[in-house]
Amino acid sequence: MEPANELRGSIKSRNRDLPAGRHGVQSSVPSFYIHIPFCKKKCNYCDFVSYAGKEELIDEYVNTLIIEIEALTQFFTNDYFSFNVPLPMGEGKRVRALKTIYFGGGTPTLLEPKHFDKIITTIIRHSSFVIRHSEISIESNPATADKEKLKALRKLGINRLSIGAQSFNDQHLQTLGRIHNARDIFRFYADARSAGFKNINLDLIFSLPGQTLAEWKKELQAAIDLKPNHISTYNLQIEENTPLYLRQTANRLQLPGEEEELKMYEYAIETLTSAGFNHYEISNFAKPGFECKHNINYWENGNYIGVGAGAHSHLNGKRWANPNSIEEYLANHERRFTINDSPDSTDQRETLFMGLRLLEGLSIDKFSGFEQEVAELINDGLLERDGDRYKLSKKGLYLGNLVFEKFV
Amino acid sequence: MLSKIRNFSIIAHIDHGKSTLADRLLEYTHTISKRDMREQVLDTMELERERGITIKAQAIRMLYKDYILNLIDTPGHVDFSYEVSRSLAACEGALLLVDATQGVEAQTLANANLARQNNLVIIPIINKVDLPAAEPERIIEELKNIFGIDPEEVILASAKEGIGIPEILEAIIQRIPAPKGEVEKPLQALIFDSHYDAFRGVIANLRVVNGKIKAGMQIKMMGAGGEFEVQEVGTLRLGLIPKDELLPGEVGYLVAGVREVKECRVGDTVTDAKQPAHHALPGYKPIKPMVFCGFYPLAGEEFENLKDAVAKLQLNDASLYYEPETSAALGFGLRCGFLGLLHLEIVQERLEREFNLSIIATAPNVIYKVNLRNKTHRLVDNPSLMPPLAEIESVEEPFLKLTVFTPAENVGAVIDLATERRGHFVNMEYLDPKRVMLTFEIPLSEIISEFHDLLKSVTHGYASMDYELIGYRVSDLVKMDILLNQEPVDALSIIVHRDQAYYRGKKLVGKLKEAIPRQQFQIPIQASIGSKVIARENIAALRKNVLQKCYGGDISRKRKLLEKQKVGKKRMKRIGSVDVPQEAFLAVLRLGK
Repeated sequence: MEPANELRGSIKSRNRDLPAGRHGVQSSVPSFYIHIPFCKKKCNYCDFVSYAGKEELIDEYVNTLIIEIEALTQFFTNDYFSFNVPLPMGEGKRVRALKTIYFGGGTPTLLEPKHFDKIITTIIRHSSFVIRHSEISIESNPATADKEKLKALRKLGINRLSIGAQSFNDQHLQTLGRIHNARDIFRFYADARSAGFKNINLDLIFSLPGQTLAEWKKELQAAIDLKPNHISTYNLQIEENTPLYLRQTANRLQLPGEEEELKMYEYAIETLTSAGFNHYEISNFAKPGFECKHNINYWENGNYIGVGAGAHSHLNGKRWANPNSIEEYLANHERRFTINDSPDSTDQRETLFMGLRLLEGLSIDKFSGFEQEVAELINDGLLERDGDRYKLSKKGLYLGNLVFEKFV
Repeated sequence: MLSKIRNFSIIAHIDHGKSTLADRLLEYTHTISKRDMREQVLDTMELERERGITIKAQAIRMLYKDYILNLIDTPGHVDFSYEVSRSLAACEGALLLVDATQGVEAQTLANANLARQNNLVIIPIINKVDLPAAEPERIIEELKNIFGIDPEEVILASAKEGIGIPEILEAIIQRIPAPKGEVEKPLQALIFDSHYDAFRGVIANLRVVNGKIKAGMQIKMMGAGGEFEVQEVGTLRLGLIPKDELLPGEVGYLVAGVREVKECRVGDTVTDAKQPAHHALPGYKPIKPMVFCGFYPLAGEEFENLKDAVAKLQLNDASLYYEPETSAALGFGLRCGFLGLLHLEIVQERLEREFNLSIIATAPNVIYKVNLRNKTHRLVDNPSLMPPLAEIESVEEPFLKLTVFTPAENVGAVIDLATERRGHFVNMEYLDPKRVMLTFEIPLSEIISEFHDLLKSVTHGYASMDYELIGYRVSDLVKMDILLNQEPVDALSIIVHRDQAYYRGKKLVGKLKEAIPRQQFQIPIQASIGSKVIARENIAALRKNVLQKCYGGDISRKRKLLEKQKVGKKRMKRIGSVDVPQEAFLAVLRLGK
């Protein structure tokens, strides 16, 4: 990626010509993403922006995050961050605040509470940016926080905990290169509940090397038995240049076949749905009211600002990213890489292929100009009409990529 | 002046050093300064350079002592044997160039025989004598055995090192006779090459035999029939050098406002329209395409562009034939006829490279003569147009005489290969103790797919081959259809010998199964003869293809994956409800032995 000159320099100076919304109206930015790229150990399937053995950089990294957030002051005062808060009686009130904040990784729970304190305080200092209606999520690894730390995080206002459980089978956890076992997850979950987290997600991966359908059923049941508010589950993807990829190319990886993988996915949908979860996105299931607002904003192609190494931002069709390398980010946190600078051509397409991930689909008027694609997809049984919306059919859910490719 | 002209060409196998020798001659005669010397000046077309062969004949005039030497270059592939014969007909002599490490090859023999039929004086040269692996004694013996060449006549040379070049030039002026011709006779000039120039129209290279040609004169093409006014004549150096007139024995070029190469084709005789010659020079032949295939645009809306592109190529290629055709599976396309498979590949590559078209080429086929029960016959150049079995009395196909030169130790493998491809063994002769010449009669259809590659592979690259058409013969041929998802795909139909139908059908459906990606439903692939299915495979349905994990705010990787998938789809053609990639059509070509 080429560094984008026009995005270099202080964010302050950029703000004068911040992109406006569709009709010249500035759209709001409801979401804020903070990337924490540190891990104790890199997992065998992981190709995210995360690094093991760089913990000595954490303090400096947090300081740089603070500088980057401070530089966004202009955003805050411009009413970019604001949304309607429903009030019990009558009209909603427009409040200048963030709808969601998301600490993602890496392993955010490797940081100490003091680090989060600094970050959240900085955000709050600029206004009443965070209110009790805001969803503040953190990703966690069961081996990196005890009850005390969880309590401290909850006290700072973090109200949604996403637990990277991945599996409840110790052998599979080992294959994945996780640093925890199944018991660690149970303990961590209990600690989180007692620390006061009322909104907990479990991440689960299926179609693991050597995994059978029977094993998957057991693991899924273990997750359901914990009574989390949300479950994200997706099949293992072998990414290039990961240890699992190398094993696969050396023919030393026994992955379940496509039919088996499909059965696991179908089973998860049936089981979670009958356990009272709402299947609201391809890989996401939530108890009513616990859908992840931060992720929904991604799927609805909303605006968001990301800070930290490798973080991506989207503002009215413009997309940019911070450098992936921690060192590069520390050396120059104002460096940006443009991903898309010509919003009009791609924004609608992105709205469509991201939005169709949501099971409720998208309203028909969003598809204007794609009538032929829609007709083909309906003809192939991949897309269906539901009132004034188009959504994935059951078949389309399993073959989503055939649908999405029409809109890239 | 006639006595000071020498016209000659070079006969050589690919890689035996023809272009390097030509370069040395140009350098030695100061036709080109060393500074301007590009490697292999004569091969100008990009494709020629890549493939290391000469497709179009070229000519260049050199001065040596007080002689004018015209080197007329010849195409180096069996597909263009007619063009070779016309180039040779414009000469009085030929340099027979043989690699000291290899020996005489099949095509060299064929072209040398052609030169002898044209009464050319042959100057035998053994090239690359400087190489450690050179065996000049063995090659001298070969030349003696094959052509009856006196060892005394052979010049030992290394074009790369400049060895033997003065001797070659001396031999050219001393051994090759001066051209004969009379300036008072009516004009007869032989066209040995013509190409289209966007600014000047067709530029024809010719050799004046009798009479003279000059600007302003009204000329007539005795074969094609057109009349034109001469705008310019001249000689060929590295570029065109205008000259008042061309006299008997001279080689040069002609510009006369001709718009298409086919109006002024290789082998035609140019004469004076006002005072025409009694007869044309011998050897002119109408175009006869040997190999056919369908070209279809990948995107239907590109058809007009494809047609325009082929028409443009035809301006410069009189042997390229085409006419529109329609396929139920592929839509509008062109049925094209070619001199041979190389010619086909060159045209296809130029369409993709120079015109940026994505095309599907159906498997090449020969032209069949179908004798019907009602005592009429029909020529079929497209397998899908084969009449129903019940109407057919017999089918005839073109046969070749195939000559293969091979190391003696590979004789068995070559015989196996040719006989598996329905070849009949005719003869075997030792050229020297280590090399053998094999002769077969074999159907052309067996040669046009991958025979040459297989021959090279069974002989570790050491064999060479040449062929000539010997006529049509009755064979037990049937049409094999391919059904995709129960629908016949006319563009995949092939004509096969009944004895090989089962084997080829099985192999073909297997190859198609590999080439066609899985889709939303199961796809049966069947091969059938008439209504009888002889082979079947199933492509399993695609059941799950969805990117489940979403990478937070980074949608770029997701996008990349989908884009890659989409690009793959664009390289496919939807036939019925099945997306078929271009490569699937190649599967028909590569059925092995």
